[in-house]
Amino acid sequence: MNDPYKVLGVSPNATEEEVKAAYKELVKKYHPDQFEDSPLKAEAEEKMSEINNAYDEIINSMRSNSYSYANADENSSGVNYYEVRRHIQAGDITTADNILDSVPQNVRNAEWYFLKGSVCYTRGWLNEAYQHFSTAVSMAPANAEYRSALNQMDQQRNGYMRGNPMGSYANGRNGQLDCCTTLCCADCCCEMMGGDLIPCC
Amino acid sequence: MFGYIRAFKPYMRMCEYDTYNAVYCGLCKEIGRKYGFVPRFSLSFDFTFLALMDMSLNKTDLCAKKQRCIAHPLKKRFCVCCSNGLEYSASSAMLLVYHKLKDDLQDKSIKSKLRSVLLLPFFKCPYKKARANYAELAKSIEEQMASQRAIEQEKCASIDKACEPTALIMQEIFGALGNAGNKQNLMRFGYLLGRFIYICDAFDDIRDDCKKGNYNPLLLIFDSDDNNKVIDDERFAKIKDYVSDSINFTLGELAESYVKLEVENYKPIIDNIIYLGLKNVSDMVLKEKFKRKLREVKDDERSV
Repeated sequence: MNDPYKVLGVSPNATEEEVKAAYKELVKKYHPDQFEDSPLKAEAEEKMSEINNAYDEIINSMRSNSYSYANADENSSGVNYYEVRRHIQAGDITTADNILDSVPQNVRNAEWYFLKGSVCYTRGWLNEAYQHFSTAVSMAPANAEYRSALNQMDQQRNGYMRGNPMGSYANGRNGQLDCCTTLCCADCCCEMMGGDLIPCC
Repeated sequence: MFGYIRAFKPYMRMCEYDTYNAVYCGLCKEIGRKYGFVPRFSLSFDFTFLALMDMSLNKTDLCAKKQRCIAHPLKKRFCVCCSNGLEYSASSAMLLVYHKLKDDLQDKSIKSKLRSVLLLPFFKCPYKKARANYAELAKSIEEQMASQRAIEQEKCASIDKACEPTALIMQEIFGALGNAGNKQNLMRFGYLLGRFIYICDAFDDIRDDCKKGNYNPLLLIFDSDDNNKVIDDERFAKIKDYVSDSINFTLGELAESYVKLEVENYKPIIDNIIYLGLKNVSDMVLKEKFKRKLREVKDDERSV
């Protein structure tokens, strides 16, 4: 297989944003829809799949690298948190929990609390999950992943139920008014991430 | 038995209400047909919900007939008949009620002890019959009841752990409704529903348990030093906040798994139960009105 960096035309030191931008450009150029009824269609498809593979490879290696960076200082506890993540994603909660429990109390960091929270969450132990997520966020306030997990549970804590067709029969802690506040907050969050929930504000 | 899973009637359309009642009546009759007269009176709305979910997921068409029934001798009512959904719900109701009664035998209060001594003989036969049909379910319920007793004995202070046996029983019961595609989701759904039931039940009993010194995880979370038989207001408010949060977490997650199930048949009724009924029940439980309200509802039905 070709060098993925050459396929996308970026340097091996490129950031994630640069890779994404290059990928978008190439997709625009080679998208098979543009070659409908053209003899080049088969070639375009082949090129597209090459681009996709290259992109996946680069992004995946970036992600796993960032984990291994994050793990570099944790390795004092001798635990690979990336592996724990893999176990959780595969649904092997017991193994993940056993690995986490082997970490002594004094070296547990934000990542540990986040993963422990995820384990509890998957089990349905929601009270414990909430506690662990809170701890993770207070230890690493800048981490968006931890924060979004906590935010979701905070919404539920205030009585949010997905798919509710009946509107607000709110029994949240703060009553009716909180619904608006939540919406505003959700809007702010969306805007922060580049989207928009309430278009007019 | 518990009766925490029920519809919120003021927000139901008449046709939905009729269907809901028809399932209830049909289930009652099914228990009568299969298991005899006395067990019919153990029926609760929880199993009506189970029957509804079963009928919904298996896309059973509603076939109802107007029939007379012993609880309402004057008026003919719609009853659902001939559906597999009823059979499963009726059997799991028998399994659970039997274990509940057996559990009550160990209870400290004379009243519930006496009640279960009197009632148990009527449920022994139905239990054996249901167990013959659903051996696996019966076995896992038995196991979970044992671990429930273990948790009570070790006086576990974690609400998450204390919920687990009830939640796992419901997980098993609801999981059996699913096929390969939605089984995982249904299991999660059942788990959370069981969790909801346990938390509501624990809070409902809290003053009683405190007075009698029974095990209740909520009392242990906010332990007080003195062995007071009465919960003071400050402690009670703390417990109430904690329970409110726990219930909201549980219902929020329940909704997540419910949405993924993509229920189609009987959706308005099931929506009503999930989004309004459960909230309404938990509201009443938190305001300590649920048990009183139950009695009122029963009186109400008798006077009709």
